[in-house]
Amino acid sequence: MVGFAIIGVLLLIAGISVVVARQPVYSALALVGVTLGLAMIYLMLSADFLAVAQVIVYAGAIMVLFLFVVTLLTAGKEDKEPADTLAGQRWAGALFGLLVGGALAVDAVLHPAPKIAAPVVPGFGGLHAVGEALWGPAFVMLAGVALLLLTAVLGVLMLNHPEAAEKIAGHRRTTPPGVTVSPAEGEDGA
Amino acid sequence: MTLNYVVALAALLFMIGAAGVLIRKNPLIMFMAAEMMWNAAALAFIAFARNYHDVTGQVMAFLIIATAAAEVGIGLAIMVAVYHRRHRLDIDEISELKG
Repeated sequence: MVGFAIIGVLLLIAGISVVVARQPVYSALALVGVTLGLAMIYLMLSADFLAVAQVIVYAGAIMVLFLFVVTLLTAGKEDKEPADTLAGQRWAGALFGLLVGGALAVDAVLHPAPKIAAPVVPGFGGLHAVGEALWGPAFVMLAGVALLLLTAVLGVLMLNHPEAAEKIAGHRRTTPPGVTVSPAEGEDGA
Repeated sequence: MTLNYVVALAALLFMIGAAGVLIRKNPLIMFMAAEMMWNAAALAFIAFARNYHDVTGQVMAFLIIATAAAEVGIGLAIMVAVYHRRHRLDIDEISELKG
């Protein structure tokens, strides 16, 4: 319980610093902290496989992708966020968001759920248990997620393919064929 | 450690993420806050799986992780595509949805 409290406080601090960080790269580093803390809590909740998957997929793959994009888009820039168009909406959003979160948390603490007294079966949350559930009753969902990932890959290809993007944006190529203009410079009206 | 406190932690993490989406204007930071909301949902699933000794909750958390990976790929691709056209990272730049 003490360990959980310590990790929980660290998680909340890392989570707040994701939100209030001045530069996106600090946000990304704080999000790595959130991810690793969550993996430790998963271990405490006897979700061994999920803890490993969290570290590999989130800290290993997703955060590296984030850092790539952050360095690609914000390298060497010190942009200040533009002013609000509606004064005070930022503080109102933060205040009401945290009020709802606090209310939900208090509600969760005040209403304990019935707990099963017996200890968990050995191997609960391990690779075999999760794998049997994934390839057994939950196979439809697994196949659905596989399709979803495939669709995401196709979507990314479509989005970053210049000619497809031109078609989507409805722009017409004004240069004669044979003259190649990179889409970033060729038709940027702004 | 009891279920209550884990679910309370998940709720707080979720709302920190939601507040981040509400108050920031940098789409990258908004996106990371949204990632935190996915993670909070997965944490709640795993807490309930442990409490009721049912591995289905962990399966759901696994599916959440996979779905989040797909979402990150698409979202970052959209951001890069928008940045190529506008050269600014500001969510208000893409507030008008015209083709």
